Order: sequence, then C-alpha cells, then structure tokens
Amino acid sequence: MQRLNKELRFIGHLIKLGLAGLMEYRASFLMQAVGMFINNGVYLVFWMLFFDRFKDVKGYQLEQIFLLFGFVALGFGIAYTFAGNAGRLAEFIAQGRLDYYLTLPRPVLPHVLFSRMGSFSVGDLTFGLMMYFFVGKFDLLSPILYLVCAVLAAVIFVSFSVITGCLAFYFGNASFVHMQLQNTMITFSLYPIGLFQGTIRLILFTLIPAAFVGAVPVEIVQTRSPELLLGMIGVAIFSVLLMTFVFQVGLRRYESGSALHVNL
Amino acid sequence: MPIITLQELKKVFRLKQKAPGLRGSFRALLRPEYQTVEAVKGISLEMEQGELLAFIGPNGAGKSTTIKMLTGILYPSSGEASVLGYIPWQQRRELSYHIGSIFGQKPQLWYHLPPIDTFELFAHLYELEPSAFRQRRDFLVEAFSLEELLHVPVRKLSLGQRMRCEVAASLLHRPRILFLDEPTIGLDVVAKQKLREAIKLLHEQEKLTIFLTSHDVGDVEALCRRVIVINHGQVIFDDTTSALKRRFLHKKIISVRFGQPVPEDFSVKNATLLKRGEWGVKIELDTRVRPVDNLIQAIMNYAPVMDINVEDPPMEDVIREIYAVEETIHLKEPVR
Repeated sequence: MQRLNKELRFIGHLIKLGLAGLMEYRASFLMQAVGMFINNGVYLVFWMLFFDRFKDVKGYQLEQIFLLFGFVALGFGIAYTFAGNAGRLAEFIAQGRLDYYLTLPRPVLPHVLFSRMGSFSVGDLTFGLMMYFFVGKFDLLSPILYLVCAVLAAVIFVSFSVITGCLAFYFGNASFVHMQLQNTMITFSLYPIGLFQGTIRLILFTLIPAAFVGAVPVEIVQTRSPELLLGMIGVAIFSVLLMTFVFQVGLRRYESGSALHVNL
Repeated sequence: MPIITLQELKKVFRLKQKAPGLRGSFRALLRPEYQTVEAVKGISLEMEQGELLAFIGPNGAGKSTTIKMLTGILYPSSGEASVLGYIPWQQRRELSYHIGSIFGQKPQLWYHLPPIDTFELFAHLYELEPSAFRQRRDFLVEAFSLEELLHVPVRKLSLGQRMRCEVAASLLHRPRILFLDEPTIGLDVVAKQKLREAIKLLHEQEKLTIFLTSHDVGDVEALCRRVIVINHGQVIFDDTTSALKRRFLHKKIISVRFGQPVPEDFSVKNATLLKRGEWGVKIELDTRVRPVDNLIQAIMNYAPVMDINVEDPPMEDVIREIYAVEETIHLKEPVR
C-alpha cells in the first residue's frame, strides 16, 4: 500500500510537470485545445441536422447521441491529456525510446504514459464536460456516475492504446497500425451500438472494445444498472491487467535503438 | 572484489534482410528473410570499485549493446553478468538506485522545462529526502558550474551546457557506478574539457566507478586508467591507458600555418608530409621515431609560425591498428 501511494505521488508529480510543460507554449496549447473543441462541435451539428429529418437511429435520439459524444470525448480527453504518451507508445518502442525509462527505478509503463500531457485532448476533455450540461441530470448521483463512467472509459482507451502499441515489440515499426487501431476504436464508439450486429458487435465488445467507451456508459447512466456498472469496472480492471501483462511480455523483446531523441 | 563481472555475455539480434529497390521491398514483404547478427560475442571482464574504464571500439562494435545489458535495458541472449551483486535485466529496478547512466544521444532532461524541474523530478524518482536532495543539488551545481543554467529551459541551453546538466542529474542519487555512453558527442573543445573536469572531480571526491564509451581519444586520455577495446562484439585489447598510448597512440597529426608562404625548400625528416598548401602544411609524425618538440623546433627554424595544432589520429585509425595487430599475432585472449 505504501509502495502504491509512492507511485501515485510520483505520477502526480509527473502530471504537474507535464502541465508546466504545456504552459510553456500557452498559445499553441490554447489553439490545439480550441481547435479540437470546434472539431467535435462540427460533428454534433451533423447529427442535429440528421435528427431534424429522422426520429431515431436504433433507439438513439439526439439526447443519447449527445451523451454518447460526451462520454467518448471525456473518456478520450482524460486518457490522452494525462497519459499523453499512450498514443505514441509504438513509436517509442520502435525508436528505442524506452531506454531512459528502463534505467530509472519506477515501473516503466506508468512512467512512460504519464511523462507527457496531451494538449489537443484538453479540448476533448472540456467538450465532454460541457456535453453534460446539455443532456445531464442534476441530481446528486448522475454527475458522479457520469464522471466514474468517463474515467473507466479513459482506462479502457489507454489500455487499448498500450496493447495495440505493444505490436511494435513484435513488428518493429507499428506506429501506423497503432494509430489506425486507435482511430477505429474512436470511430466505432461514436455510433449507436444497435447499428452493429453479429461478428462486428462481438468485436466491439472484445477485440476493439469501442462499446465500453460509449454505448455501455450511456446505458449505465440511463438505466442506473449496478450490474452493468460492476461489469464495466470489471472490464476496466481486466484491461489494465491485460495491458500490464502484454507490455511486460513485450519488454523482453525490446531491442532499443540508436536514434537521436528528445524527451518531451 | 569486482563490482562488475561479465561472463561470456552474448547478444544476438535478428535482422530482416531486404534486397535493394522496390522489387526487393515487395519480396521482403511476401517472403521475409532474416539474418542473425551477433552484436556481442561472449564478452568477459571484471571491474573494481573506483575504476575508470574506457570501453571503446568502432561503430557497431557492441559497446552500447553491452552498456544496455549492464544497465538492464536489454536482455542478453546468453551469458552472465553481475553489477553490484545484481543481475541487471532481472533486478533492473533495485540496481537503478545504485547506478547512473548517460546516453549522449538520448536526453533525460525535460526539453521544455528548466533543469531544476528535472532535478526535482529525480528527487521524487529516487525518493531522496528534501534536505539531502538540496545539499546534493547545491554540491553538483557548484561542481558542474550550473548556477546560471538551472532556471533556463533546456531547449535554450547549448549542447555543452545541457550535457553538464544531464551528468549532474544522473549523479543526484549518489550512484556507485556511472555509465557514460558517448557523453561528449557533438561538444566543442571547451565544453568537453569542462565536462571531463567535472567528472574527474566527482571520481576523486566520491570514488565513483566510471564505465565510459567514447569515440574521442581525448576522453579516454583525460579520464580513464584502463581501456578495453572491442571490435565485432569481442574484446581485443584490455590494458592500461598508458599501455594503449605506448603501443598504439604514437602517431600525431601536426597542422602548421606560417606567417609567410611555405618556404620552397621546406621538408621534414622522419615524418610524413601529408599536405602542402601555400601558407601551411600538415604532417604525420610517429613519436617513436621523432619526438614532437624536436619536429616543432625544426619547423620553426624554417619560418615564423602563426598557428600550430597537434592532434591525435581519429579513434577509428587507432582501433584499426589495434585490430590489425590483434589479427597479426592471432591473440586468443585479450592482452592484459
């Protein structure tokens, strides 16, 4: 427990430092964050136009779409704002950039993940929070449930990114595949789950767990089902364990490299 | 008692082979072929506490791979190693509290923030007591002359300034061994000198053990008492620096610029005139045949000298010579 406490304090210090790093370039940070915010907004406008003509899509109305968007944006925002290196793991492995972390006395994976804060994802984070003000309920439980589900979604986002990034241990330059898989996860998470049936639906609940970062949280908030919430907590814990296992196994194949690097 | 022991340490990499051109790329995509490369071929060595060891060799000799196995970054393919009683790749975390490492090409300071921020991060990382950290930081700031640099973002520091901060950061937790992989790469003469002096001071004051790889003969001469040369993943020379100099560093390159055009009758005995320009000459001298001062005196007798520069030959040349000797006399075991 004492060890865990120390590691959490260290991660807290990394996040503080990451934030200080972001503040070094305030204009760039604000531009990226605002840009991402606008990007998300445009996507929503499309849905608003769509629901002007159609009543619902597989049980989803505009309110559910807003909620879905809110979860994906907030989950993604939390994940990539705080664990800013999650999306760059394949690149780190392929270029031998884990050397620095391997010579230091901290668990490598959290150290890598939290050593950078993502500036563009701050826009998603803000957007996700703002969505709640449009469609959320303002009783005592609902905002807490919304935040808990978003944090769980963030955990799943990071885990998926790490697991797919670990492909680089086996295939060398897997940066492109890593990026594509992350994009696939986001794309599928932004549509009502009822649109997908059969094998694709199975994939979205297993290999590419897009359902758990969008559709399932929407269901939890709307039905307030404790079973569903417990299920999602279980999936988040399992994904963290799987991510740790995959990374540790992959690390044995790490080959370092001689590229010139700059740590951010 | 040795603090570093290597026994038959090997590292094998599997490299994908590709024929040149687009056709080769397609063929490699459909039917990939692999080649096994032995980066380190069974290195054995021992190192005592407080030693200053230069571990040198040409590019691709296996220096960095060896350091990476000793710091726990890479798993070896076979063989054994012990660093301060730890098996590096199995007890990487425990070992990291007692060693420091600098990879000249891989910075550890946070690029956008001042060095002081990374120093504080390292204090958390190594769980240093605040008062002990402050005391140590102040000592290193003085030893490496960092007063002016501490609060400047790393991106605004020169390479030499940054490297001094890098080395200081890696010494904050009072390591017993410092692994330096090309610490002076890209530095100018003054920056190299400052860095070497600071490292030497730390060694003298704290009996720090230093394991250095470098392509710079100056680093080896200034810092190390023992040299191990490796080539193709094998140790081919293991002896004192003075023995290395005596046996192999006997050539000097002397560049001279005269205050007038080079005299027509200019010639040098027992040395080789490499280049003759209108105002200057470049000479290669074997110091076993003729001492440097004797040659310089002879040159000055020809005409007034405006500038003179005496250089060691590139490390690659020295290694090539060592390797040639090693092949000639068919050494089974490294010279010690």
